[in-house]
Amino acid sequence: MKSGRSISHWRCLLIAALAFSCTPNASTKPDPAATGTGAASAKTSSTGGAGDGQRAGTKETDAMPSSLKALQEGKLPITPASSPLKDAFFDFDRYDLSAEARGVLRGNADWLKNNPAVRVDIEGHCDERGTNDYNLALGAKRAAAAREYLTSLGIAADRMSTTSYGEEIPVCQERGESCWRQNRRARFVIVERRATS
Amino acid sequence: MKLLWLVLALMVAPMSDCAWAQFKGEIVGSGGQKFPIAVSPLRNTGNATADAARFSTGIADSIVHDLELSGWFRVIDRLSYIESPQKSGITLGTFDLKDWSTLGAEGLVKGGFSVQGDEIVVELRLFDVFQGKERIAKRYTGGVGQFRRIAHKFVDEIINQFTGIPGVFNTQIAYVSNSGGRFKEIYLSHLDGSEKVQVTDNRTINLSPSWDAGGKTILYSSFKDRSQTLYLRDLGTGREVRFNPPGGGRYLGGKLSPDGQLVVATYELAGNSNLYLLDRNGAVIKRLTSDPGIEVSPAWSPDGKQIVFVSDRSGAPQVFVLDLQSGKSRRVTYSGSYNTSPEWSPKGDRIVYTGRIGSKFAIFTIAAEGGEPRKLTAEASDSEDPTWSPDGRFIAFSSNRAGRYHLYVMQASGENQRRLTGSGGDDTKPSWSLRLVD
Repeated sequence: MKSGRSISHWRCLLIAALAFSCTPNASTKPDPAATGTGAASAKTSSTGGAGDGQRAGTKETDAMPSSLKALQEGKLPITPASSPLKDAFFDFDRYDLSAEARGVLRGNADWLKNNPAVRVDIEGHCDERGTNDYNLALGAKRAAAAREYLTSLGIAADRMSTTSYGEEIPVCQERGESCWRQNRRARFVIVERRATS
Repeated sequence: MKLLWLVLALMVAPMSDCAWAQFKGEIVGSGGQKFPIAVSPLRNTGNATADAARFSTGIADSIVHDLELSGWFRVIDRLSYIESPQKSGITLGTFDLKDWSTLGAEGLVKGGFSVQGDEIVVELRLFDVFQGKERIAKRYTGGVGQFRRIAHKFVDEIINQFTGIPGVFNTQIAYVSNSGGRFKEIYLSHLDGSEKVQVTDNRTINLSPSWDAGGKTILYSSFKDRSQTLYLRDLGTGREVRFNPPGGGRYLGGKLSPDGQLVVATYELAGNSNLYLLDRNGAVIKRLTSDPGIEVSPAWSPDGKQIVFVSDRSGAPQVFVLDLQSGKSRRVTYSGSYNTSPEWSPKGDRIVYTGRIGSKFAIFTIAAEGGEPRKLTAEASDSEDPTWSPDGRFIAFSSNRAGRYHLYVMQASGENQRRLTGSGGDDTKPSWSLRLVD
């Protein structure tokens, strides 16, 4: 039998390859380009309209399901234009409130003051970029930021719960900033409309 | 599955053979040379069966798949093979080595199988074509439906023969897929996509699967019942333990410790996420961080003494390490403004993570003590969610380079990137199991 390169020789080569192979391009350019271009326009007019004394699910404005429910029903988690509670939008990887977001939230606070029987769940959402785990934490920050601001405006904290869906239930499913900005939001879902005593 | 040793003919070269001088100059660039190997279709040594072709080429196909996935072998095209696999022998002296050496094959895999009812017996051998020696001979018995697993086990032996460390092909990947529609469910499969199993089916969002050391249990998070929390699921029985978060908070994710006794979890309350140490039933042992910002994505060091995690305490998400004994943490990543989803190499030396570069996401590794990061994937598309193989020599991840998100695997150096999954949906969040026991 001719002696060629034996398996033990190849084993040595492989060990060498394992030990010393590496990719030389380790460049990491920090990128300051936060892409957020402000919130999508959201009117702050607080249309009242919804009366008290109704059970959840009996009025038109109650019909907005949670984003998870919307997903299960095969619908997008859209906040209808007729909803008195508007979405507040955020910049990429941010959970501080822009002037525009504060304006939206003041409108929501006004409506909640006029409708004291209503309880809401504030959902925090993110765009698809970044990792799921981090976006769950970021969404929680966004929902909490909205809740804290409303609390500072006089809305009782126990009327507002929060849920983070991270990047998991986008309202817009295309790639690109015009779509991503719609997903970086705090969304208000009416969960209860108690009879006022 | 029973495993019988036929022959133990391991010829393990002592490390001293591998003197620098021997291969200096032969490794050109990165990756080194690939070992030329032939994999013959298996010979049916039992009774004629209608499925014979499926096993004969199926097992060979799986061996070829794994060898190519490893990045260390160049498999010689089957179409060029000279001998007839159903006529030539599978032991030394019963076939002509020249039929293989003339093809340039330096290694050769041959084997036979016989099917009896639901059982298949497979005999596989590795030959050194130039030295005319048998290096490995093994016999495996298993269910006919698991014949690919036998191929994976044999490739693990081949890789042990060449590198001194068994391969990682008899393993599973747990991952998240929305292939069934708009919901995100947990799936398991082997690296080649075989033995795919849907684990959850609750029509909600299920995320972040990770393995228990024994490979029989996974931890994952789900929105299926009230609010998001963790579930520890026995894969055999389907029984689950729900982790009930205290005080109206939520568990966003978590990982079992290397010994399987503890869980490090992200607990969120009122927007603040912090790391907690839990037992296997979800009871809180202690709180690990107290920071007003985001603390998320914890993972264990292989010795279970440290936790790598993500914090935005410096203003943007960066990778940190927490020492469980002292309670002190240190920052690991400094370049880039968005570094997330770290996982600690089983070898302990490096940490893999997802970093943002421009408007894209790429996989990086960095020395566990910090230093210059190494970028492993191109930023023409997004690559995320890296997970180490149990030997630390490979990294699986998800990427949208082919449109939707699919799972890929590469060597820890970033070389030989290959796609694993191709479902119609998005496959994300892979978690690589330890080596399977059977």
